[in-house]
Amino acid sequence: MTVSQPRRWGLSVRPTPRAARALKSLRLPAFWILCALLALSAWRLGIMLHSPLARFPTATITAILLFGLWAVPFWLFIASMDFLEREPPLLMATAFAWGAMVATMAAMPGNRALLGLTAKLVSPDFAMAWGPAIASPLIEELLKALGLVMIVLVARKQINSVLDGMVYGALIGLGFQVVENIFYALNSVEMANEGDTAAPVVATFFLRGFLAGLWSHTLFSALAGAGIAWFLVRTDKTLIVRWGGLLVGMGLAWGIHFIWNSPLLMDGVGGSGVGLLIGLLLKGMPALLLAMGLLWVARHREANYYIDKLEELRDPKIATRGELHTLRHGHLRADARRYGKYRAGTAGQKAVKALQLAQAHLAVELSRAPNGLATGDPILLHSRDEVLAERQRLRVLAHPEAVASPLRPVIPRVAVLGMIAAIILCGLVFFAISAMHGA
Amino acid sequence: MAGHKWGRNLLGGAAVLATIMAVVFGLPAIDRAVPADRAAPAQRHTIADGISVVPPTGALIAKRTRIGPETGSILFLIGPARYVISVEPFTGDLPEAASRLRTKIQSMRGYQVTSPETPMVTDSGLHGLGSSFTAPGRSGRYLAFVVPGRTVEVTINVSETDFQQGLVPIDESIASIAWNGGR
Repeated sequence: MTVSQPRRWGLSVRPTPRAARALKSLRLPAFWILCALLALSAWRLGIMLHSPLARFPTATITAILLFGLWAVPFWLFIASMDFLEREPPLLMATAFAWGAMVATMAAMPGNRALLGLTAKLVSPDFAMAWGPAIASPLIEELLKALGLVMIVLVARKQINSVLDGMVYGALIGLGFQVVENIFYALNSVEMANEGDTAAPVVATFFLRGFLAGLWSHTLFSALAGAGIAWFLVRTDKTLIVRWGGLLVGMGLAWGIHFIWNSPLLMDGVGGSGVGLLIGLLLKGMPALLLAMGLLWVARHREANYYIDKLEELRDPKIATRGELHTLRHGHLRADARRYGKYRAGTAGQKAVKALQLAQAHLAVELSRAPNGLATGDPILLHSRDEVLAERQRLRVLAHPEAVASPLRPVIPRVAVLGMIAAIILCGLVFFAISAMHGA
Repeated sequence: MAGHKWGRNLLGGAAVLATIMAVVFGLPAIDRAVPADRAAPAQRHTIADGISVVPPTGALIAKRTRIGPETGSILFLIGPARYVISVEPFTGDLPEAASRLRTKIQSMRGYQVTSPETPMVTDSGLHGLGSSFTAPGRSGRYLAFVVPGRTVEVTINVSETDFQQGLVPIDESIASIAWNGGR
């Protein structure tokens, strides 16, 4: 099989050089500015939580626990987006912390000031209706994007594809969303004036966590992250085009946030619970579909880039043709693990996953060493030996090839599960709206 | 070369820091510097039929309506909070007035009352009954008062994450609601 280079995705990834080491960041002034900002914001967040924690300990702890747990599946999903070239956990945590602490703490005075200015310079009426749609996207998207800029400044080499930008952007947004929701919950406790009760927290958890805002900030920031990463990675384009890409990403984040916060379709369409549900879907679904589409393209471009490196070896002991095809698609990788379990039990499933990870590791290492295995590079040889060892493990289990099942359904299982989850979610939201006298 | 990179990194970090400072300190400074044409004077405002209130410090009057001598409303904007007081003819008692207001709030789709109704008394001795509510992106409080032949409905609606301090002047303003006996 001949691999013609460069392919469409040949310039979509800038491999992280081996020389990139976390400790090098300590020498950068931006690293210390980042540390100072995180420390200051953590201190400010602590001050802001101190009062509700002292007056409403049960409600505050409930809010932190509920929204903390709510973030876990999102974190796992975001972390799994980049299967082939996993991001450093410390950098992922930094992104989350920026969103949770720096962006939220800075957004509060900024939002309030911009709302006040809108009321004074245009009119209080206008500020009431459109203020949240204007102020919040402008201030919050800017502050969250600065988090990714900071990550670029301290670990430039880690942002080597559009997918990486989406991962870090989404984590910044997730952090922001969690802390914002906690404060909304505490606000409702304060408003209730009922003392230390968790009921307003639970109501806010449902409303903010599911009914409105299931994917809000996480999605906005993922789009902004895609734009920033595209600017960084596509150095083959002219500077104007790169700036254009960056502005498109930021513009999408701002525009979708604007629509989401705007009074348009605030009460849905028509006069029933179904109308409100349709309104929510009309506001949220195009953005979700856009982001998922972009994610799909970014994931496949990155996967194709790395798997081409394995394909160039033309060694079926490293990866067979079937495995190469499987590795390029997330749903096929998952199906291959299930097929391994079907053929050789849990040991087979684990062995397939281990082989896939070893192959991914080798592919990433190959991208960092342009001359390949021929140079006798010890890291590459070690990675190759890991693949061969995992292959041997599979052979012992009488399942020598980690491919997707030939009998798998035509429609990928992930698509079916996604559809079922979406229908159940819509049903739950409709039920909730009806229960809240909305129907 | 390394020095050049270090300098650029410092410049980048400083630019991020400067932008954050501009948002945290610059924007609020500009907001304070811009005068408010529609600032509510710190004096008692009559809403209708002798019902009056002292607005919260720093509030803007967003809307004011008066339909005859018995019906009127005033809407204050205090940062991200909307604070509405309306006066309407009403013949029922206080629980009925509170129930009517609660029904109005719950009829807005997505609004959920989050606590049982509790009584409160203003500085002038008006008795009220109210509770809190939450909705996607906002939370709030409502209160109903009754004077002979009228109900006074108060609604506070906040669309901001950090509004704990902002409630103090609004609570003070609610406590200032008074009725002069319809004179």
